[in-house]
Amino acid sequence: MILSCIIVEDLQVAVNYLKNCCEKSGQVEVRGHFSNVTDALSFLNSNTVDLIFLDVEMPGANGFELLDQIAFSPKVILTTAKSEYAYNAFQYNVSDYLMKPFTYQRFLEALAKIQPSRETISTNSATDHIYIKTDGKLIRLNNDSILFIESMGDYVKFVTIDGKKYITHNTIKNLEEKVSKQHFLKVHRSYIVNLHKIDDMRENLLFIKGNEIPVSKANKADVFRRLNIV
Amino acid sequence: MNNLKTANAFVFNPEFDVNYLNSLYGEDYVYLQEVLDTVMHDYQSLADNIDYQFSSGNLTALKSAVHKIKPVFGFVGLTRVQQLCQEFEQICSSVSTPDQLAGEFETLKNKISQSKQLIEEEKKKLELFNSQSS
Repeated sequence: MILSCIIVEDLQVAVNYLKNCCEKSGQVEVRGHFSNVTDALSFLNSNTVDLIFLDVEMPGANGFELLDQIAFSPKVILTTAKSEYAYNAFQYNVSDYLMKPFTYQRFLEALAKIQPSRETISTNSATDHIYIKTDGKLIRLNNDSILFIESMGDYVKFVTIDGKKYITHNTIKNLEEKVSKQHFLKVHRSYIVNLHKIDDMRENLLFIKGNEIPVSKANKADVFRRLNIV
Repeated sequence: MNNLKTANAFVFNPEFDVNYLNSLYGEDYVYLQEVLDTVMHDYQSLADNIDYQFSSGNLTALKSAVHKIKPVFGFVGLTRVQQLCQEFEQICSSVSTPDQLAGEFETLKNKISQSKQLIEEEKKKLELFNSQSS
């Protein structure tokens, strides 16, 4: 799985080295690099990424201040020349800590810590539940408790019967393969719904507990096939 | 970093930590030349900032400026200078005014200046080596 990333670093030789490591690995796509927190924040206000390579000491705000201000929770690998940030790194749930300069092997080790956690859904389509990874823990959701799943770019939102919303790093496309086919159906490129929870359907809209879910033309026939129409 | 192998190994000035450079770049001397180019582009402004912060008497900013140039020496294989920067940073934390580390500052300043010359020389040697190897 290719991870999207940005590099937040003001030392050009370190930026170039990291870009090379990313390119060589074939595992990471660099979406941009920024030499200060303000520019990085401006990018992250309208884009999401899987991973941030983050220097700590930069002109203006420091790297941890960036983490305080972004609205989502990407994986973070600190790239620094100091070992004194270990405590902060722990508090911010940083995945790894690369001391500049680091070897390519060390870079790969850091990536290896990220990649397994991309698999945020653990399920068997024959079981009655799934596990999602959110806020650093695995949460069990029974199929019957899920109303629908909505795409949010590189993330998805699970909306449950008790009104809770769980955001996790995944895609509708990936989930379509993983969730129980008995319960769930993709009705739109951005939505998977629990077929057992549909209250009614009008034109190209499904209604589930007051939520309007669009049905795409391409998926409409599938929806009709799966509903128990008498 | 394509691990391009050349027929003959480049002979580094003994000030450079060859094993360390190999751990970073293998025998990719073309990439190493790019690294030296990039470093030289930014070197003087990083060095000037250290001078400026010492003159301004701001210990925190001085420490930060030295911290910023420190990994540069790692990237070019001058690991002893990198270590000297590390030690200077520690000293910054143990004094209350820049005057108290004037001696150490002078040593570091000289080392940074000498290192610039070393890197420039190595860069020229490497350019020649790479042009003959291609």
